[in-house]
Amino acid sequence: MTMDHAPAAASNGERRWNPVTSEVVRALHRAVGRERVLSTPEELLAYEYDATIERGTPQAVVFPESTEQVSAAVAVAHRFGVPVTPRGAGTGLSGGAIAAVGGVVIALTRMKRIIEVDRVNRIAVVEPGVVNLDLSRAVAPFGLYYAPDPSSQRACTIGGNVAENAGGPHCLAYGATTNHVLGLELVLADGEVVHVGGRTRDVPGYDLTGAFVGSEGTLAIATKVTVRLSRIPESTRTLLAVFDSVDDASNAVSAIIAAGILPAALEMMDRHIIAAVEPVINAGFPLDADAVLLIEVDGLEEATTEDAAMIRGICDAQRAREVRLAVESADRERLWAGRKTSISALGRLYPNYYVLDGVVPRPRLPEVLRDVYRIAETHGLAVANVFHAGDGNLHPNLLFDERVPGATDRVLAAGAEIMRRCVDAGGSITGEHGVGLEKRDFIGWIFDDIDLAVMGKLKAAFKADGRYNPCKAFPTTRGCGELTDRVVARHAPALGTDIYV
Amino acid sequence: MSSTTAPAAIDEFRAAVSLRAPGVVFQDRGERVAVDECLPDVTCAPSIESDVSAILSEASACGLSVVPYAAGAHMGGANVPREYDVAMLMTRLDRIVAHEPADMTVTLEAGVPITALNATLAAHNQFLPLDPPAADRATVGGVIAANAHGPLRHRYGTVRDWLLGVRVVHADGSISKAGGRVVKNVTGYEMTKLYCGSFGTLGVVTEATLKLAPAPPVRVTVAAQFDTASAAGLYAMAAHDAGLAIDAAELLSPPATYALFGEPRWCVLARAAGGPGAIERTLRELRAYAGAMRGALRECDEATWAAWARALEPGVLALRASVLPSRVAETVEVLDRRFAGAAALLSATVSAGLIRANLDPTRGIRGGTLYESARDVVARRGGTVAIDAAPASLKRQYDVFGAERADIAIMRRIKQEFDPRGTLSRGRFAGRI
Ligand SMILES: Cc1cc2nc3c(=O)[nH]c(=O)nc-3n(C[C@H](O)[C@H](O)[C@H](O)COP(=O)(O)OP(=O)(O)OC[C@H]3O[C@@H](n4cnc5c(N)ncnc54)[C@H](O)[C@@H]3O)c2cc1C
Repeated sequence: MTMDHAPAAASNGERRWNPVTSEVVRALHRAVGRERVLSTPEELLAYEYDATIERGTPQAVVFPESTEQVSAAVAVAHRFGVPVTPRGAGTGLSGGAIAAVGGVVIALTRMKRIIEVDRVNRIAVVEPGVVNLDLSRAVAPFGLYYAPDPSSQRACTIGGNVAENAGGPHCLAYGATTNHVLGLELVLADGEVVHVGGRTRDVPGYDLTGAFVGSEGTLAIATKVTVRLSRIPESTRTLLAVFDSVDDASNAVSAIIAAGILPAALEMMDRHIIAAVEPVINAGFPLDADAVLLIEVDGLEEATTEDAAMIRGICDAQRAREVRLAVESADRERLWAGRKTSISALGRLYPNYYVLDGVVPRPRLPEVLRDVYRIAETHGLAVANVFHAGDGNLHPNLLFDERVPGATDRVLAAGAEIMRRCVDAGGSITGEHGVGLEKRDFIGWIFDDIDLAVMGKLKAAFKADGRYNPCKAFPTTRGCGELTDRVVARHAPALGTDIYV
Repeated sequence: MSSTTAPAAIDEFRAAVSLRAPGVVFQDRGERVAVDECLPDVTCAPSIESDVSAILSEASACGLSVVPYAAGAHMGGANVPREYDVAMLMTRLDRIVAHEPADMTVTLEAGVPITALNATLAAHNQFLPLDPPAADRATVGGVIAANAHGPLRHRYGTVRDWLLGVRVVHADGSISKAGGRVVKNVTGYEMTKLYCGSFGTLGVVTEATLKLAPAPPVRVTVAAQFDTASAAGLYAMAAHDAGLAIDAAELLSPPATYALFGEPRWCVLARAAGGPGAIERTLRELRAYAGAMRGALRECDEATWAAWARALEPGVLALRASVLPSRVAETVEVLDRRFAGAAALLSATVSAGLIRANLDPTRGIRGGTLYESARDVVARRGGTVAIDAAPASLKRQYDVFGAERADIAIMRRIKQEFDPRGTLSRGRFAGRI
């Protein structure tokens, strides 16, 4: 059997996979038990989407409950040459869990045991289906928590977080998922089980754990994750700074970073987000403000007092209309509830939203943000911004109604233009949601064929061939006939194909 | 000397490189770039990336083995090269390409020494928080390749946590990049992680972009001395658990304390770093913890850390053990006893579970005996030992990365994919890949 390097598959775009026949389904039944396999069209419907606008119907969904079952199911797919797509909670925002060409979805949601908590060494070993917030809740009695906190943390899984190298508001100070994973148990594309990393920090050899995190379900399936836990800080202060202009708010962000203060979180919400969230949550965001910053500092009581005072001074200097301080946990939680439900609140007001995920160098934030509004306007679209400002990680939400003819097309065109703007500013096309299906046509703006070929070598070393989560992360030309592919593939070249340095 | 390569191939390489990259080939015997007592046949010192590429593509075409070499500060941590035909001296690639103070990032060539970088950044109250032994010489590229770190690891982790993007020249001379220049980025695989600690076996890092940290406004170093290892360990763990504003905390064995302070006692050398209020509180609590463990705490100056770096710079035989934080104090105590007579200096970053040992096997006990003993002590506690420096004879006997693990198969395939001809640092990696 030939090893299928991803870029090679990309360049000729050949079909290299087989359909799921009834024989395959029977083999899956034998491998994991009939009760753990779905294969009727009605049953499969719930697994054809994630949180993007993409769709792709698998031909079978398997719900393994152990590493052995994952391995057995994957081995069946390998034997029959059918595509495999791992899936967590399906909250992904780049189409990673979508069965782009059908095949078998391996859903990890039933593997949700917290296997071990070592409170002294601040380590937990969990199965991949454990929900992010459930882990933090489980270790809270020990004064610990799991630091990466995607806004979807009530639903998304640790396995999905590992695959996307998920971030969240508090990654500014504490790093993304990759900084909190010590070791992994993996099932490779042929069913082989391998352990990488470990419980101790320095495991000799290449950092395979580091290379795996963020691989978007294209290298292997994580069946156990050893994570670092963090200590709940003794003091946390949350500031709400209210601004009459987005420009002032983004200047305040740059000023805080430039002053050498590293808050635990530094988030921005604009007027459209406030309008969507405030009536539902009553967090106290002023409806007439142009933007608010949610800034959190944590650590020693003395440190948070000092930092909060400095941040207040900077916001005042950047013409904040008002800076409120929340110290009590109930008050802080209300502010964060407002932040973390922003995107779903948009769903209440608009039939559809399309979340972008660009990154720019922080000093470029004000100008790029201005352009985001301008680009949306040019395409006749409303845009709402809620994002990890401290990291320069933008999340423009384009609001639309897909039933309106041409609306989706306009959204994708505006999205491509905004992505391009981020790249031109020296940034990136994704800070935490992943490239997935959605953005593979943009990846050429950042990486050339050699860069991608080197990544393909890593994929080959993991024995993952072209039928392993196909059409994800790498540019592909044919065989992946999904929605954004059709539209985006038209827009991307028009915006330029040079490589940034 | 170690080379079994045909002289004709060497000559062919020398001629080809002289043509493509004039002035890059050195005429000396390569004493300055000796690796594990081996000298290269040719030393090249490129000062631009395209020369690095030319050297590698020609070496690859001639079937030669190239070892990238920077300050040489951390060369001991990889296996003896199977062949050492060409030394690629990286220190001329020493430009800072771009410092973005307002974004707190820096892009620089691989040969820039850490200390020189930090001297430049100091004016902006920023720094790259990596302080490996020999930081004055050690280059950014070398620190990436060797995954070298020092006491700051307690708060700031290792180079993988700071590296945002790289440019890499591969074995065939092709050039790729990974990551980017922004502080948060998940576009493409995290190739940067793979290069950290790869000891020049997958590619030659020519340029790196790193995230920077704000320099803490105040730093105060304190040493607390104790009668027992366990008291010192409890003190270090208590400070860690309380979340005090500390950026480094090293547990020192009596010989190490003796080297620094002239007193053979157990000691924790820690540095409070932060704003004035946080520092005051931290020092107050450290004093209280020290008192509770019957220890004596005293303030020392910043120069103590330079003395630490001199004492712990890998010498004749240096080991690095990794255990769980809860096992550190006990492991250090046992190692200290086992190593008695080998003038062993031990220093542990308790929170990271890291133990460094600097030994002198010339004093009676064989190096191999010391290594095996350390390996067994640590393995019994669920940890691993790597060699940071050792005589070539010892390294020929023992893989410096320790026993092979099950994931070695993936590592072999990675090496095979990246460097099928074994052009880069042949035989230097885990499993003598
Ligand atoms: C409202 C909302 C807010 C969000 N906020 C954030 C945020 O703040 N930060 C952020 O980073 N993301 C955010 N996301 C995106 C998403 O929640 C994350 O990417 C999350 O990590 C996905 O987890 P999941 O379990 O839903 O994975 P899925 O969507 O099911 O899968 C995501 C990818 O992971 C792969 N995968 C899943 N499990 C495994 C496994 N065990 N082994 C290997 N591969 C696997 C899949 O193949 C797929 O490629 C948000 C999403 C929503 C809807």
